[in-house]
Amino acid sequence: MSSIRKNNTSLMASAGRIFLLGMLTVCPPGNVSASGPSGPDNPQNVPDVTSMSLEDLMNLQVTSVSKRTQKVGDAAAAVFVITQEDIRRSGAASIPDALRMVPGLEVARIDENKWAIGARGFNGRFDNKLLVLIDGRSVYTPLFSGVYWNVQDVVLEDVDRIEVIRGPGATLWGANAVDGVINIITKSAKATQGGLVTAEAGSEERTAESVRYGGKIGDNTYYRVYGKYFDWYPSIDATGATASDGWHALRSGFRVDSNATTANSFTVQGDIYHDNFGETLTVPSLTSPTFSSTYPNNGYNTGGDLLGRWNHTFSRSSTSLQMYYDRTNIADPTVFGDHESVYDIDFQHDIHLGESQELVWGLGYRSIQDSNGSSFTVALLPNHSSLNQYSAFVQDEVSLLNNRMHITVGSKFEHNPFTGFEFEPNVRVLGTLTKQQSVWAAVSRAVRTPALTEEGLQLNAAIIPPGTAPLNSPLPVVEAIFGSPLFQSEDLLAYEVGYRVQATSSFSLDLAAFYNNYTNLRSAEPGAPILGGGPIPSYVILPFVASNKMGGGTYGIEPFAEWKILPRWKILGSYSFLRMNIRKNADSLDPTPDIPNGASPRNQFYFRSSLDLPKHLEQDLIVRYVDQLPSLNIPSYYSLDLHVGWKPLPQLQLSFGGTDLLNKQHLEFIPEFINTLPTEVRRTFYGGISWTF
Amino acid sequence: MPIFVPRDKAIMRLLRPIIAMGICLSMALGASAQALDSSDSSEYLIKAGFIYNFAKLVGWPQGAFAQPDSPIVIGILGTDPFGGIIDRVLADKQIDARHFVIKRLKWGMDLKGCDILFIGSSEAVHLEEVLHALKGLPVLTIGETPGFARRGCIINLIVEDNKVRFEVNLDAAKQADLNISSRLLALARIIPQSAADVR
Repeated sequence: MSSIRKNNTSLMASAGRIFLLGMLTVCPPGNVSASGPSGPDNPQNVPDVTSMSLEDLMNLQVTSVSKRTQKVGDAAAAVFVITQEDIRRSGAASIPDALRMVPGLEVARIDENKWAIGARGFNGRFDNKLLVLIDGRSVYTPLFSGVYWNVQDVVLEDVDRIEVIRGPGATLWGANAVDGVINIITKSAKATQGGLVTAEAGSEERTAESVRYGGKIGDNTYYRVYGKYFDWYPSIDATGATASDGWHALRSGFRVDSNATTANSFTVQGDIYHDNFGETLTVPSLTSPTFSSTYPNNGYNTGGDLLGRWNHTFSRSSTSLQMYYDRTNIADPTVFGDHESVYDIDFQHDIHLGESQELVWGLGYRSIQDSNGSSFTVALLPNHSSLNQYSAFVQDEVSLLNNRMHITVGSKFEHNPFTGFEFEPNVRVLGTLTKQQSVWAAVSRAVRTPALTEEGLQLNAAIIPPGTAPLNSPLPVVEAIFGSPLFQSEDLLAYEVGYRVQATSSFSLDLAAFYNNYTNLRSAEPGAPILGGGPIPSYVILPFVASNKMGGGTYGIEPFAEWKILPRWKILGSYSFLRMNIRKNADSLDPTPDIPNGASPRNQFYFRSSLDLPKHLEQDLIVRYVDQLPSLNIPSYYSLDLHVGWKPLPQLQLSFGGTDLLNKQHLEFIPEFINTLPTEVRRTFYGGISWTF
Repeated sequence: MPIFVPRDKAIMRLLRPIIAMGICLSMALGASAQALDSSDSSEYLIKAGFIYNFAKLVGWPQGAFAQPDSPIVIGILGTDPFGGIIDRVLADKQIDARHFVIKRLKWGMDLKGCDILFIGSSEAVHLEEVLHALKGLPVLTIGETPGFARRGCIINLIVEDNKVRFEVNLDAAKQADLNISSRLLALARIIPQSAADVR
């Protein structure tokens, strides 16, 4: 893994010398004047700032606009950047909320503290094809190859941007960056000097407060510390009764950035958290007459992380070295407890070879320690495991035809204890047609390596009571999902193309299309029944064993357009089309029916109108459409969010809004594997205040 | 297709045109759009625009310029963050009959010939000495470092939420005998001189 450089200017690594403007927030101002190939150094491209009023100039974005509409134009990948302004103006209360604006992503809330988030299909609570990083730290759990969304959080005001790459990013980010990479990047400590106090209250979110303070130590060292607390009301179930999914969390952390000398910079950051969550669980039970029991389950999560990074610049190359430790404890008293420690070290070296070539290579090592406590519902063997992963990557970008064409070739090579050696190559080509138009194409391979659960899980999903036809077993039959040491990596070969145009100074369009070909996807193959319950058997286990007998193609198209109708009025919209044809192989006995698109919507729309009003008022309207989820029988829905922000004083920001205004309540998802009761998303209203000093 | 209750149908009817309009209009525009200059926004390009506007909205006292067509001299003190941007932005531009002349200056050089002095972050350590050297002279000092306005710089540019904002120290402007237009002040954050420096 090589997340070091990917943290500061993550997309630079994936697309060459792209996001120069993105560096504004991390570089001393003196380094910024070289504004990139299409920047102001190019006389034809410079807008006449002298013809603009102060008001107009004050509305220009230093980084964000360019990153999305111009600099993204140089990336040979489907990239979307959520800016701090996008987060504020959308009224997002959490990271998953903010991700709803990204084309090609699927975001569904399961209950107040659980989400299903995926890219380009295969969505689920335990989605395993999306890699998420926070400031260069992978938050992908080796337990189920997914993300515990409920323990990932930051002070939203301190987020610099969230970069989302749809499609494989495996060459740089490694196994598991299969269908997408989400990079959450917080501001540098230098950019968060002074104090910030925020408070929010709403009909769903009872209270949320955060406090941050940033200061300076010596000449070149900046720090910030923060604390954040929130408490969410339980939602309701389908009948309108109060559910048990309340959630409250306390989190604190710090970040120190130092530019010790011009050639060296250091970052140290860490977080610590504790949350309590509720849910309604249904688990199989041999002692209950109904063979299942449903009860409110309360648990808690604790954890923390510590990361250090050192960047060093030579005259024609730069290196970075990053190390982190991440600890996650899941304490669920009735089903499953897990303690997981990750130690990760990454080294990366970027070398400019002449004018037109940039070589990047890196090495990585990761050690994972896991220990868990089992229950009748979920057991994982062995109880303790220690995994070591090694990786290396190399990527070369060559500029041809007077910088009009860029070819990137590279591969990751890694070794994991389950499947051994894996390689993930890619080839990307970017062509600049005119100053305003570019096309790109990419072919890449990615793998999703097995998770601990896919190797050693026993999940008792349901019990068929004795005497039920057609089995007519005298004993209860436990349907169980088993991991298998024979489970192999899932493979993807992805073909992508894209087109971008900055048609006028106020209108841009970004189009991405893909065809993904998957092989060795996970299926659950029935095995021979096993007698369980000790020397005198009291039940029969009907195992369904993780196997690799599924595959197929998915394709889709994701246009995104942004139009500044007036200096004070911008609209943006995206459409995501996804078609999935995933089928079991001919030799598979998995009884699950093949349903096209499964739990992923075929069509999604996102539309936002952003209006700047006089008196420092801003108003946003968001309309979303999410198509039905075929295998879950979840109907399609429209949602309307409204947000009003007001900055009566430079230090004071007020916000008011409503979410899901069209629906009284609706269901967004039904989770797989663990039978947690999904709860209804309701119409909510909120207000917030933030004060800087 | 999913099932909607009638109320949702009505809402859908309402929303469909809005969404369709947004998307279609965007597409149509994209297809027919001409290739205009892309508006690349970058910090120092924007800041150069600010400096030009400041020059327009600040009144220098009589006698500050020898002739009606004497140029406005902009000094850039310390490490120059603009590169060549400000030269290109201001080339051929004039305010009334005045052209711009841009000088790169180092600490220790004579600063008195400037009408506008941009003080780079590299000069933070001797800001007080710079300001002292200019005391009583009609020089518009502009900084881009947190705390500069409080320390006596007349205008200080700051980047907040990726947008450029500015602070004005009115006492310092008064001492320099510069008249700052109310249009400029309306957009500024007024910063009081820190107590220690008020004399």
